[in-house]
Amino acid sequence: MTLDRAKEIVTNRHDYAREWKKKTGSKVMGYFCTYVPEEIVYAAGVLPIRVIGSHEAQSYTEPHIYTMFCPFSRDVLAQGLRGKYDYLDGIMIGHSCLHLRQAFGAWMTNVPASFSYYMYTPAKIQSPHAKEMMLAETTEFKKAVENWLGRPITDDALDKSIEVYNTNRRLLKQIYELRKADPPPLFGSEAIELVLSSQLSDKAEHNKLLESVLKELPQRRNGPQGGNIRLMIIGSEDDDTNFLRYVEGLGATIVADEHCTGSRYFWNETVPEKDRLRAIGNRYMNRPPCPTKDWESRRRFVHIMNMAKEYNIQGAILVQQKFCDPHEFDIPPLKALLEKNGIPSLFLEFDITVPIGQFRTRVEAFLEMLQLEVV
Amino acid sequence: MITAGIDVGSKTVKVVILQDGKILARSLVLTGFEQGKAAEEAFALALKQAGLSAKDIQKVVATGAGRTSVSFATESVSDVAADARGAVFINPNARTVIDVGAEEGRGISTDTRGKVIDFAVNERCAAGAGTFTEAMSRAIEVKLEDMGELSLKSTQEIPLNAQCAVFAESEVVSLVHAKTSKEDIARAIHDGISNRIAAMARRVGVQNDIVLIGGVARNKGFVASLKRQLEADIKIPDEPEYVGALGAAVIAAS
Repeated sequence: MTLDRAKEIVTNRHDYAREWKKKTGSKVMGYFCTYVPEEIVYAAGVLPIRVIGSHEAQSYTEPHIYTMFCPFSRDVLAQGLRGKYDYLDGIMIGHSCLHLRQAFGAWMTNVPASFSYYMYTPAKIQSPHAKEMMLAETTEFKKAVENWLGRPITDDALDKSIEVYNTNRRLLKQIYELRKADPPPLFGSEAIELVLSSQLSDKAEHNKLLESVLKELPQRRNGPQGGNIRLMIIGSEDDDTNFLRYVEGLGATIVADEHCTGSRYFWNETVPEKDRLRAIGNRYMNRPPCPTKDWESRRRFVHIMNMAKEYNIQGAILVQQKFCDPHEFDIPPLKALLEKNGIPSLFLEFDITVPIGQFRTRVEAFLEMLQLEVV
Repeated sequence: MITAGIDVGSKTVKVVILQDGKILARSLVLTGFEQGKAAEEAFALALKQAGLSAKDIQKVVATGAGRTSVSFATESVSDVAADARGAVFINPNARTVIDVGAEEGRGISTDTRGKVIDFAVNERCAAGAGTFTEAMSRAIEVKLEDMGELSLKSTQEIPLNAQCAVFAESEVVSLVHAKTSKEDIARAIHDGISNRIAAMARRVGVQNDIVLIGGVARNKGFVASLKRQLEADIKIPDEPEYVGALGAAVIAAS
């Protein structure tokens, strides 16, 4: 199954990037947040890969950021300090939360790279000026990349990059579409691995991977069972697919998500227009937003409720990184909204390593509760 | 000049009597509920061993969590100052002193004279101290003194969150339920504590020589975990639990 290849990319992410570098002779840029306009990096012939969690206990970050920083930002920084990303030519971040930005700052100071870039992205995407500002920041960023590489990024290259990225988004959405069926042809953990592998690989190659997955799924025999409880996961960055596998081993199937490492990443495409940078910037301002930017009304909740309806959700697990204030702020109204729509939810806080034992009781009780409601 | 250092720890009281840089006697008693009494008892014990009486001691310096309860002390110093001074007295090359006692873990950076440059102490959390191992040894029904040896026989690494001793204990219980071997659990516990301690040490900056003191330094399993975490060699004095008291005695003599 090609799905296994996606898992392999996630597991051996460093090998993938190193091999890509060797094969192409080009540069690799690590990025910290999905508000980075990757299309520009890709158009420059540089491979953008997301820095995600390693889930290894570590003692390296305390001299730089305090333990009250979210586990994800600490995990990310620890890997940098330990040299796990020594093959990166550049690093960058699109502004979202401060924890990750300070982790980026500490990385920048302690792990020198030939290119490091902090890109501001509007914190209030609902402002009427957000798109203009994003355009200005995107333009600045493009210039910085051009200066770094010593060559211009052409409109033609941008068009190609947008096309590759849009295809990737479209294919992922097609696969997500299949999850509306009962049973869906793939597990939630596998779907997240498809998204993660997209963040970690060359999108042109990944498109081929997705195409074969789409071809293989209808014939699949060992997918989830029918009649399982249909769950949705909602929340912050979470690349711990072991936890998802565990939940899906208990008679539930995760059929949808509103996640930083899930649908939020690819849900909308770049709508081409003559001004390429504006088109790219608009895409990021129109995407299902991260709660750091989703204010004063919450556009994120619209995306969540649409999905919940379309995917026939019976329960939701609200997953967030410990100490993630932006997500935490959304929890009370989100819980209330789900409840009003007849969707019970379970809230879980994630750390660098997941204490499965502690979560077991809660997840099992939650599923039992849902089972009773379904009957 | 004869001086005495008294370290009133949360679990035990340690006394060192020092004459011109030479240790004459050492004693250790359980702190219990009445710290002042325990300090007197430990002091009397050390005097007896040295064949001295209280008036032979020119200066007594108290240190440790219960240092204010020592009524007969001439003065008192913080645990951090005593640790640094004691460690450098034993090993002049000591630059990073890590003290892991019953209730507290500390990372200290010191200069060549045993003067503290910077320090970090575990905050609001028992997961970086000896009591944690003790509680966990009860959870897996192993004698505390056997925990170290046991963990050295572990064949796999299991991460323990261990930000909080209570949560860590429930993680250990989960491991017990999952039929994890006692060896592997013991190692996970030591890895968890040493992770907290190593993070603290890194905060003050780790430099050679690294000297580990405090009662937990006697735990081989913990030492192995800490070495792995710090990726460095660690020096351990012969009587690691007396270094704070020794430091107080050295300070008394200066």
